[in-house]
Amino acid sequence: MNKFSMKNVLKKNVMTIALFVIYVFFVVMAAALKGTNMLDPSVVTSLIEQNAYVFILGAGMLMCMLTGGNIDLSVGSFVCFAGAAVGLFSVENDLLNKWFGVWEMQEVNGEMTSVLVTPATPLSTPVVLLIAVGIALLYGAVLGFLIAYVRIPPWIATLAGYLAFRGLGTQMLTTASTTNAISNFPKSLLNIFSGRLFETPWGELNIPCLVFGIVASALVVFLSFYSRANKAKKGYNADPFWYVVVKSVIIVAVIMFLTIEFALDSGMPVVVLWIVGVLVLYGIITEKTTIGRHFMTVGGNAEASRLSGINNKLIMFAAYLNMSILTVIASLVVTARTGAANAFAGQEFELDAIAACIVGGVSAYGGSGTIVGMVVGATLIGVINQGMSLIGVDQDWIKIVKGLVLLGAVVFEIQSKKGNKKQ
Amino acid sequence: MGGSKVTSFLRKYMMLIATVVVVFVFYYITFGRTLYPMNIDSLISQNAYVFVLGTGMLLCILTGGNIDLSVGSVVCLAGGVGAIMLKNLPTAAWPVAVIAMLAMGLLVGLWHGYWIAYVKVPPFIATLVGMLAFRGLANIIMGGFAVDVDNRPFLNIFGGGDSCYIPGSSIPDKLAPYKAGYINWKTTGKFTTNADEIRATIAQLNAQIDGRELQGRALESAKSTSTELNMLLTQQVNVTCLVVFTIIAIGIVVYTFVNRKRLIKLGYKVDALSTVVIKTVLIALVLEWFGYKLACYKGIPTALIWIALVLGIFAYITTKTTLGRNLYAVGGNEKATRLSGIDTRKVMFSAYTLMGLLSGFAGVLNIARLQGSTPTYGVGYEMDAIAACFIGGASAYGGTGSVGGVIIGAALCGIINQGMSIAQTPVNYQKVVKGIVLIVAVLFDVIMQMRRKGGKKKATSVVATEKGGAKA
Repeated sequence: MNKFSMKNVLKKNVMTIALFVIYVFFVVMAAALKGTNMLDPSVVTSLIEQNAYVFILGAGMLMCMLTGGNIDLSVGSFVCFAGAAVGLFSVENDLLNKWFGVWEMQEVNGEMTSVLVTPATPLSTPVVLLIAVGIALLYGAVLGFLIAYVRIPPWIATLAGYLAFRGLGTQMLTTASTTNAISNFPKSLLNIFSGRLFETPWGELNIPCLVFGIVASALVVFLSFYSRANKAKKGYNADPFWYVVVKSVIIVAVIMFLTIEFALDSGMPVVVLWIVGVLVLYGIITEKTTIGRHFMTVGGNAEASRLSGINNKLIMFAAYLNMSILTVIASLVVTARTGAANAFAGQEFELDAIAACIVGGVSAYGGSGTIVGMVVGATLIGVINQGMSLIGVDQDWIKIVKGLVLLGAVVFEIQSKKGNKKQ
Repeated sequence: MGGSKVTSFLRKYMMLIATVVVVFVFYYITFGRTLYPMNIDSLISQNAYVFVLGTGMLLCILTGGNIDLSVGSVVCLAGGVGAIMLKNLPTAAWPVAVIAMLAMGLLVGLWHGYWIAYVKVPPFIATLVGMLAFRGLANIIMGGFAVDVDNRPFLNIFGGGDSCYIPGSSIPDKLAPYKAGYINWKTTGKFTTNADEIRATIAQLNAQIDGRELQGRALESAKSTSTELNMLLTQQVNVTCLVVFTIIAIGIVVYTFVNRKRLIKLGYKVDALSTVVIKTVLIALVLEWFGYKLACYKGIPTALIWIALVLGIFAYITTKTTLGRNLYAVGGNEKATRLSGIDTRKVMFSAYTLMGLLSGFAGVLNIARLQGSTPTYGVGYEMDAIAACFIGGASAYGGTGSVGGVIIGAALCGIINQGMSIAQTPVNYQKVVKGIVLIVAVLFDVIMQMRRKGGKKKATSVVATEKGGAKA
């Protein structure tokens, strides 16, 4: 069986080690070449905030990819559309006035024109959020139906969404406002997805954030030892004690590092709660629940999974319904961070989410992949992006490097699988 | 039996019928503006890249619904390299630049082919990498700036600018007065071929337009009538273009009947004579009409010759060569193909190599038409090529599709795009329509296939039970 060996540990964590090495490399290079401190609290916070959407979309893309390497190309456009829709109902704008405002025919400069008498009132935040969820469910259900039950290949169905939603979103924004963007979102909406928890002045240590970090660390330590003890009791092959200790120390170190950085930078970003919530939820779903395992079975061997009584179609349907809900969350996060819904929102988000999964070791043919892997992949790409721009590398070179990292990750995965088979 | 004949006819000619319907719809919406000679001409030159890339994409799709997402970036890369070379080389050395662009495309094709066929990287990932990396590379090579191309011989040969037409003398159009007369009859109720009377009608229309007497559709209608009458008054036709298209039309008719006779002699089953006559005459008429429209503008655009060449070569490759048949075989059933001794990896490799080469060639046509290159050229081209294939009936699972389908798909896409721009539909809605057209085309294909499979399944299950019964 899977005996514990140093070689296996290295093989399993190769991307995590690569992430660490690359991060250190960029920290050193940024300091040496430009004198920028990449460990500065604001730099670290912006790394997390800028990539928040990748973590959220990556979780959804992971579920799609698990079912057989299927992807969703429409997420970027849907982020734009959902942002526009939320903006449309929560801020006063021309389109809302056109639909719901009160107009009267009046004489202006000798010609009869209709004039806006009473502007439409924007909806309250809870109603807007309900509408957002409704849009997500509607699109997800249609997409899931087309893919799972009509059997349209996923990338074609989502390609159509990619075209249509970019068009619809842009059109909504151009008719809603002369600046082609909706801003001035109500604070009540923004505060749910951006800003800081218990904000304190910059540079002061934020106590609630520290408490949160310490609690999280304690929880991680407790869970790792608890699960090891559980495994040992039931007679499973448990990892050696020292390995669990080392692993916990590393995880706690990472959590505390982030906590202190956030604490120094005015407090915990609200978006971190969303990220952690999504990741923990999907981590549990994929690792601990039957339905989560079904996603992998469908991707591993669709025929066998069907014969063993799993409703393959329902799983596919669920994957795309789920993707669309997460896309709307990502859209809200992005809109709240930039404070505006604009026509360029979400461009190439689908590529980022796919890349995060692939670099994180999710199989491009489906059947295997983990949330932890995806997080490592997303962070790796985020670090490369940030590190290279801090060093002053051109955007075009960043594109090439990103492409090659993606290719390298796939080839690595394919080769290591080949190696496994030979053994 | 009659019912199934109708469905099979519909299945076969669905997209053709759709194209005709779309043409008429836009003809009505735009008051005939979509069929003006210059619009027919720009339909060809603006969509040249769709025909070329669609053909390449067809090869990839045939091998099992695989796609190439990188074509837009490759067009930009090859075009960028070519534009820089054309700018810095002496004018006479333009063939070097063309060869360099094709070589660039070929290299990209080899690169993709290697990863996809031999390392088994999923095509969408390998080409996604290409999409990112080659766009970046193109921008680096061009330094982020636009590069103009003013190499006259190059532009003339590959279809850029005003003189990129097959030369020929022009003569006044003898048909134009009659058409003008007909339009005159529709507006004033009087049929006349007299130029002065038609000028009077135009003046009257213009007075109405300027005097703000008309509104909405009536105004638009008056505007187009006035423009069209003006156009018809001075219309000239290009003799070369007319002659060439007439020869081609006659050639097709002759070939069809000679071939039919030969097949009968060899004992093949052929279509009924009436069907063949109707089909051939229709094809010849459409070609002749198309040729007449082009002749009314400036003649045969050089881009059209290149498109025809590419389409001809690849129609031949896909239908008459072993490689072509292998593409279908791999897409139909990869395992069976491999077991029957065909190197499926080589087939995949060839498909992506040819796709790369064609992307390079699309780059050539692109910088010629736009007379230069910018770092943003080619964004979204992959979508157009993919849409052309699926609308043209290629299966999203591979194994079926044809160059003829790509022609119809690309033309239909082009007609819809152009019609919407002429009808002044907002660009954003055009995207929505494109998405819907794509999904409808695939939906149609998938449903048709399901029906066919459903029928087959029933048949096989009957056979199975019979066999079971025999055993018992």
